[in-house]
Amino acid sequence: MPVPWEALIPFGLVTVMFGISGTLLNVSTKAQNLGKPVRHNIDNWDEMMMRRDEQLTGHRRGQRDDPVPPPGFETSSVWQTEKTA
Amino acid sequence: MSSYQPGSVQTHPYVDPTPLPDDIPKVQELGVTSGPLKSAAFFIGAYCKEYNEDFMLCKAENRDPGHCLKEGRRVTRCATSLINKMRENCLSQFQEHWSCLERNNQEYYLCRKPERSLNTCMFEKLGLTKVIPGTPQGQKPIHEVENPVFKAIQK
Repeated sequence: MPVPWEALIPFGLVTVMFGISGTLLNVSTKAQNLGKPVRHNIDNWDEMMMRRDEQLTGHRRGQRDDPVPPPGFETSSVWQTEKTA
Repeated sequence: MSSYQPGSVQTHPYVDPTPLPDDIPKVQELGVTSGPLKSAAFFIGAYCKEYNEDFMLCKAENRDPGHCLKEGRRVTRCATSLINKMRENCLSQFQEHWSCLERNNQEYYLCRKPERSLNTCMFEKLGLTKVIPGTPQGQKPIHEVENPVFKAIQK
């Protein structure tokens, strides 16, 4: 009896599809986070610090340890406004 | 309602470029981001204890942003001087620790090895130790426990 290799094609297809989608997801999240793992369990404090990091470095996950801030840091805070009238 | 209705929250957030008035003394803000700050946090607590406590007590009186500017300037200057000292003395251990924190969701318990080397360097060069306030008496602080229950999966 020859081996029914046609029956193994769906297994291969499903494995490849899971692999491709998982790889694409990993590449996409790493690219959005500058090559670092995604931050999880972010509370309001972490959100505020990441907004400050964006002011200092231009990206929410960017880090720098130079104590002198870039010029214009003191006035670069972003305020959300709402139209009331 | 098939036409576009704009929301009430502006999609273009507002940046106010006006600096502080000239009668308020100027202080250089700290340009360090969240990872290095978290790494240096307990040392800032040990080094700048009096200024931090002054600021917190002042804020406890009145939460108005303009009330505690003087104490706030002192806190900023103290933290800036500590970061400069850390960079002079323990730069490689400091960078190692905050890079590890950034890779691990900024959790302390996943980065104990770089933290230990940073703590020994800080103690030798600057005499500062990391103390966790509120540790119960007789219990070892969690950063000194040799085999903790909550740890990284890989050694």
